[in-house]
Amino acid sequence: MLEDKCVRCGSCVKFCPMFDAIGEEQYSPRGKIYLLQVMDLIEDDEELAKEFRKVLFECTMCGRCSEICASDVDLLRIWHEQRLKAFETAPDEFEYLESLRNSIANVRNIYGLPMDDRAIYWADEIEQDIPEIEDKIYERGKTADVAVFLGCLMSFRSTQIDVVRTMIQGLERAGINYLVMGAEEFCCGHPLDLMGDEKGAEELREHNKGILKDMGAKKVVTACPGCLYQLKNNHKVEGIEALHHTQLFDRHYESLPTLTLSDDFVYHDPCELHRLCDVKVEPRSLLAKMGVNYRDLEVSCCGGGGLLRMTDPEVSDKIIELRKQKERLANTTVITACPACREQLLNAEIATVDISELLEYNLRTEEENT
Amino acid sequence: MKLKDIAAAANASMYHRPDFKKIKGAFYPRNEDELAEAVKRAREGEYEITPKGGGSGLSAGCTGGNAERVIVSSLKMDKVLSISLEEGHADVQAGITPVQLNDILATMSMKFLVTPSSRDIATIGGLMGTDGGGNDTWANGTMRDNTLHAKVILYDGTKLKVGWDGVECENEVLEAALNKKGMNLNDLASSHGTIGFVSELRVKIKPLPRKRLLGGLAEYENANVLGEVLTTMIEEKCPITYGEAIVEAHPDVRGDLKPPLLILEFPFDYSCDLREITHFEPLTKTELNRMKEIRLKLPKRNPKDGVQVALFEGYGFHGENLLNMQEGISEINSLLQQHDFVPFAKSGHAPSKWYLGDNHPAYGIVMHSREIRPQNKSGVEIYKTVEALVAKCQELGITPKPEHKWPFADEVKKARLQELRMILGERMNSFIFEPNCASETLASMV
Repeated sequence: MLEDKCVRCGSCVKFCPMFDAIGEEQYSPRGKIYLLQVMDLIEDDEELAKEFRKVLFECTMCGRCSEICASDVDLLRIWHEQRLKAFETAPDEFEYLESLRNSIANVRNIYGLPMDDRAIYWADEIEQDIPEIEDKIYERGKTADVAVFLGCLMSFRSTQIDVVRTMIQGLERAGINYLVMGAEEFCCGHPLDLMGDEKGAEELREHNKGILKDMGAKKVVTACPGCLYQLKNNHKVEGIEALHHTQLFDRHYESLPTLTLSDDFVYHDPCELHRLCDVKVEPRSLLAKMGVNYRDLEVSCCGGGGLLRMTDPEVSDKIIELRKQKERLANTTVITACPACREQLLNAEIATVDISELLEYNLRTEEENT
Repeated sequence: MKLKDIAAAANASMYHRPDFKKIKGAFYPRNEDELAEAVKRAREGEYEITPKGGGSGLSAGCTGGNAERVIVSSLKMDKVLSISLEEGHADVQAGITPVQLNDILATMSMKFLVTPSSRDIATIGGLMGTDGGGNDTWANGTMRDNTLHAKVILYDGTKLKVGWDGVECENEVLEAALNKKGMNLNDLASSHGTIGFVSELRVKIKPLPRKRLLGGLAEYENANVLGEVLTTMIEEKCPITYGEAIVEAHPDVRGDLKPPLLILEFPFDYSCDLREITHFEPLTKTELNRMKEIRLKLPKRNPKDGVQVALFEGYGFHGENLLNMQEGISEINSLLQQHDFVPFAKSGHAPSKWYLGDNHPAYGIVMHSREIRPQNKSGVEIYKTVEALVAKCQELGITPKPEHKWPFADEVKKARLQELRMILGERMNSFIFEPNCASETLASMV
């Protein structure tokens, strides 16, 4: 059993955002592993078993516990496996997640909105800035070197429009031959993966893989680290490289003009980007090329991962509020590179920009000045 | 049973399978008032109290045995209350960790100098309960040496302030009785929560060292040579600032290490004198940090197949048996193998200091040991190995710190604690005083 390797040293406890917010061991990684280790002593108690299944979903799945574990316990894998087991054992206890599952099953996005709308909201919004955008949306028969995978949040949320706009402007400026997957894009499967629903996630991946192949893309780029994780690790499309937009832009630009903004910038590493996809260098490299002065925040979760916004929104809010206080974020501008982190930051009334917004501002200012 | 109560029993010792029905509640107070409320609730239910810090100890002190009890954790009492740079002390809540405190102190170029390997979770209150130390103990002493006073709440709700000069308490009769007994911080150190719940401490803080330091790695032919070097270091009171030994390591985790070895950090101007005591290869800052990291993680690592277990917190080699370390280790390993354990890793702070139950200091190495746990052995069988090791080490004269298993076998310390508990009350963590070192209870919890 994977959990037997845990020596319960407790090094993960104080790092855990759930423990920080709630302050009781059953929410910490050690507490949960301990409960698994002694499950044979308590599993006959149905109330305890039910409570444990609930606690498994009280987690941001940020992976920090796995990262720091000196005993090499693959905690994230354990959380995934246990969530699946919980879901299979007592599906009726997870009715609050059923609407999400149904949305994905029926219309292939997390919001339950019509599939065709995936290429409408944002396209309408950015058409004025990029008049030819309709031509850059994938339809059967069209091909491109780079496929743009927007993901559900960026396709449907108005709070993400500026990131979509600046990312696509960035692709245009760089002269990259791209197509947005648009209405043919299905959810990447990340939410189902977080529920342990591997079968459901695989169905979505199969469709996306087919589209990427039809497009003849050599790369697929996304601004969403959750999507990136799925594209990179679980889609595994042969011959197609999955990249975060910061990676694509960092490769493209050897140097950049110096940014003229003088906000009190800080950089927040999105967990799925930093920890799960190992993308740490490129966002910082881009910021360095633009001469941005910033301080790194603690490599800790914003509270927006692991479906926590659905399973316990109050704790999710508390996590970001605690960070806001501890890391003095009230008067800063948080640079990040993840739509879910952006939502969390905006909910907590913290100013935030995606790196693509800084990049576009920078290049446009340079253009105007010259 | 509630999940909260069960999870509160999580701890790093192999004694982690208690009778959960006996845990009647778990509390995570954030301040003294909430702590007082938790104590009151336990009292109303007529339950014992088990004070708990980070739960990183290996001796079961924070488990409370199998008494009907409530567990009171200090993990959320983690605030710095005040810092006096002029007077060199900080007032802290008991649940703060050395890492948390030192993160704050670093901005003031100051440091709290008790940093055990478990510094990221061990609480300062818990360190008082075990009189813990770390790789800086040789230079700076144990937790008691770094404490000026501590505030304690008793089972009946009475608050004490325990310092080096005695006890202060609103209850004048109690104060007089305790001071008549000569109670001071020595009694709180290594008391394992049997006196009361430590709520706040005033701890010493010191400026970050400004001396230029060098790193070095010394490898030895066998543990006797290592023991001889440590003996000379102790005799000459060598001013090293960091000393850690890796005595043995299983091939699964050995990598390029050649134990027995010492990882050292010392003042630049001491390097010539140190060479008189031991050979060593200089380490760059990066190399030294890598070695420190390897040492820090070694006790937590696992074999490729199976899992590791710590049967003891630490073997205390000092005096004569430090010079015969290899023989001692060979006998320990032989016994382990007879009981189907595979020796996995042995390491420890060295040279180091600890206090025996009569409050006299001992100097040597506190050697932590990990073994590969045999499959299909019951908890009771595993505990029999512990008992055999106790007997073997007593035969060899290898003595532990009071809290470092042999389970609470320091009779001098226990007698003193019992004497005080006659005055203070006996409802805090009393399993430690069960007959035969609580062996029956401990064996049931493996």
